[in-house]
Amino acid sequence: MKDATSVGLGEMAISRNPEDVLVAFGLGSCMGVIMLDPLTHISGLLHAVLPRAADGMEGADVNPFKYVESGIEALLTAMTKEGANRTRITVRLAGGANMLMSAGMTRAFDIGTRNIESARTTLARLRMPVVTADVGGHTGRTVRVYVAESRVTVRVIGEKERDL
Amino acid sequence: MSDLVWFDQAVLNALSAIADNGVKSAATGFSEMVGRAVKPGKPMASLVPILKIPNYIGGPDDDAVGIYLRFDGDLEGQVMLIVPYSKAYELVDLLVGEKPGTTQELGSLEKSAMGELGNLCASFFLNSLAKSIGASFRPTPPAVMVDMVGAILDIVVATTGGVDEHILLLHSAFADEARFIDVDFWVIPDTKILQELLKKTTSL
Repeated sequence: MKDATSVGLGEMAISRNPEDVLVAFGLGSCMGVIMLDPLTHISGLLHAVLPRAADGMEGADVNPFKYVESGIEALLTAMTKEGANRTRITVRLAGGANMLMSAGMTRAFDIGTRNIESARTTLARLRMPVVTADVGGHTGRTVRVYVAESRVTVRVIGEKERDL
Repeated sequence: MSDLVWFDQAVLNALSAIADNGVKSAATGFSEMVGRAVKPGKPMASLVPILKIPNYIGGPDDDAVGIYLRFDGDLEGQVMLIVPYSKAYELVDLLVGEKPGTTQELGSLEKSAMGELGNLCASFFLNSLAKSIGASFRPTPPAVMVDMVGAILDIVVATTGGVDEHILLLHSAFADEARFIDVDFWVIPDTKILQELLKKTTSL
């Protein structure tokens, strides 16, 4: 198996190569959105940072994958363009943690919860049900997508990889 | 990026010099707290692409302890200390005055000790910066996170990434000769307010 393809902040990767593993390391408040077409094994992983572009910030020169809302739309478009069948695509979510437990900082900076809400709202609008989700809480997650098996795993600090 | 054009190399060099006093002051406080000579690395001021931040310290999947606080007042911003997990137990031993090898877990007491260290470094740095540019700041209590580097740094990304594509990062590191201590020290000031302050109070 070749090295895993690292999907950094504001990036997306799609693969149908059975040797590929897509990985988003250390998702904190960021959202990992995984789309799989189990028949063709076309697999996509989005690593989005913020819920949606601020008013006036939308535009052709803005990276859509930085935001949950536009990133999900762009990931779906890229998946179908690659040959995935929209009706077969399943969606999984991971991330959206609230990393700050300190008093006074928790609410104001809880981007994680807003990222989860944005993902669920966007997917509902696109009529794409979420199969499984490991979201929220206060710990970071590393997400791996094994293209050959259409398998997704999550790891948190101090624990082993487990299936999502 | 347009808002940050003002921070050209000359301004960044001047900011590095201002940060130098702050970092030396923070290292003095650090040394007193752990009873061991801690040396600061040369501070660097640089403009960093926000989405690349998790790659600046080891790998985003590495385990670490992050000590985070914010400050407001005449200038707003964030302070983050990052300790590799492998060095955290030794650091706690020094902080609480125990023999090396005593600490075996990071519970609330250990996190509290590390939080105090963050508090002290930030306060020393900010006091020095305040004198340099004639301003005053109030730091929040520290938050201590034990997690993956990427997840810890998401806080910086998420709280600044909505507006700019780059941040102004004042970066240094603390270490001792025996390499028991290995701490990254980041200060991320709000660039708009900092620019106004510097224009008013210095010849930059």
